Amino acid sequence: MIALIGAKTINGINNMGRYGRFLWQSMIVSFQSCLNKLSYPLIWTQMYLIGVRSVPVVMITGAFVGMTLAVQAYDQLAGMGLEEHLGVLINISVVKELGPVLAAVMLAGRVGGALTAELGTMNVTEQIDAVRSMGTDPIRYLVAPRILACLLLTPFLIIFAVLMGIIGGYFVSVIQLDINSRAYWSFSAAGVELWDISIGVVKGFFFGVAIAAISCYKGFTCKEGAQGVGQACTEAFVASFISILALDFALAVVFKSIYNTFWPIRGLV
Amino acid sequence: MKEQNSKNQATQTSHNGVLEVKNLTKKFGPKMVLDNISLSIEKGKTTVVIGPSGCGKTVFIKHLIVLLRPTSGEVYFNKKRIDNIEENELNKIRTHYGFLFQGGALFDSLSVSENIIFPIKQHFKITDWGQVEELVQSKLAMVGLDGFQNYFPADLSGGQRKRVALARAIALNPEIILYDEPTTGLDPIRSDIINELILKLQRELGVTTVVVTHNMASAYKVGDRIIMLHNGKIIADGNVDHIRNHPHPAVQQFIHGQVSEDDLAVLRMSGSMSQAQFLPRDFQ
Repeated sequence: MIALIGAKTINGINNMGRYGRFLWQSMIVSFQSCLNKLSYPLIWTQMYLIGVRSVPVVMITGAFVGMTLAVQAYDQLAGMGLEEHLGVLINISVVKELGPVLAAVMLAGRVGGALTAELGTMNVTEQIDAVRSMGTDPIRYLVAPRILACLLLTPFLIIFAVLMGIIGGYFVSVIQLDINSRAYWSFSAAGVELWDISIGVVKGFFFGVAIAAISCYKGFTCKEGAQGVGQACTEAFVASFISILALDFALAVVFKSIYNTFWPIRGLV
Repeated sequence: MKEQNSKNQATQTSHNGVLEVKNLTKKFGPKMVLDNISLSIEKGKTTVVIGPSGCGKTVFIKHLIVLLRPTSGEVYFNKKRIDNIEENELNKIRTHYGFLFQGGALFDSLSVSENIIFPIKQHFKITDWGQVEELVQSKLAMVGLDGFQNYFPADLSGGQRKRVALARAIALNPEIILYDEPTTGLDPIRSDIINELILKLQRELGVTTVVVTHNMASAYKVGDRIIMLHNGKIIADGNVDHIRNHPHPAVQQFIHGQVSEDDLAVLRMSGSMSQAQFLPRDFQ
């Protein structure tokens, strides 16, 4: 029993070490790729596959988040006669937390799953070994363009999700629940600061790198066979999801500390 | 016998080889796959590594290009030790190799032409695309597939994929070509086409060739020297005649495709086929 726990612990630490080394190498090579014009076509291709084709699903996610928030929060606020403040509640939730997190989770499923499956299949069919055998670094050719595409486009995708969340919330609040449009926007404008929007967008950079790095690592280390690729995809999604939530918490703490340092008293709406 | 042994010993420890491994050991967890192997591969010759499935042939050939790092032991390319150097430096050395993978390992998303251009694009700045197209055409012509430039791997048969993979492997005019089970999964005629290609490339380009196979017809046809691996060790090493007349029972069983008495005994002990056959209605 003790031996089993020990073996699992050592295995876990080994995996963490391997992932840490993979992440470090990927970061260095990604930075070098930014400076190398020959890498740009690879990055453009991945930006199209990862970013452009994710726009519709991310926008749909954002819209439903805004609409659901409006439906759920209306009764509580209306009970206190504060229904005109609904805009603040929806927009600050969408801009700071739910928009970025749920858009990232959607990307972890759509983009992360595809990356792991693609690289996992390449690994199983020896295509990654083939890249190495021809004197090319597979991290430079396969991983760096995907990390850079996710890094650069996840914040934009979050902006799309947030925008649709705001529109969805407005649609339900003003058109369906009959809240005064002017009051809705004026309370929203008073409650949501540029800082809040920045937090949402900055989170996108971290989420993007986490999704790409975890998915590529799982693809590179997947076991043989169809079951191996399937298992790698599942593990990649679970690990990405947990990382997104953990990063969200860590960034919330960091941003709150920064905010409190520079603006100790924030006006309550 | 003594003479043969001393001759083999001399081959194993020769220092004239373009590729050399010394005391190569590879373990995957507790499993020993290669056990203290030492040999030298002569320049311009074809060395064939034979052995039963799972004996470590592919693991061995991957060590020659350091796609796998040894648990212990050393690998040398042109007298330079390569098993302990950084990947960046290794990538430069790998341009001297061509590697034909068992399944071809062509990139699915790239056309035949793009697959062959891939290694060229990675190591040279292409200014004249017309010249590159001519080069692709000449490489494809060498493997008898000129005109297939715009096909995708999914559109090709197994044999054609291997030939395209071979064209890609020779794209950088390598000094050494490594073949991992080049005839596996092909019918006898397609297998012979691959054998003829191996001979043609060796003859015309003067490359050093290492072939891993369990196809004895192929081994006899292309091999100047044949090495047999068994349980991670070299049990036979010599030319075709030496292997044909080798006294080791495992070598004779393998080259004649005969099951051993021990394996037969296990099969006899494991019950009759009629006992193992039943129909779903037997459950009712």
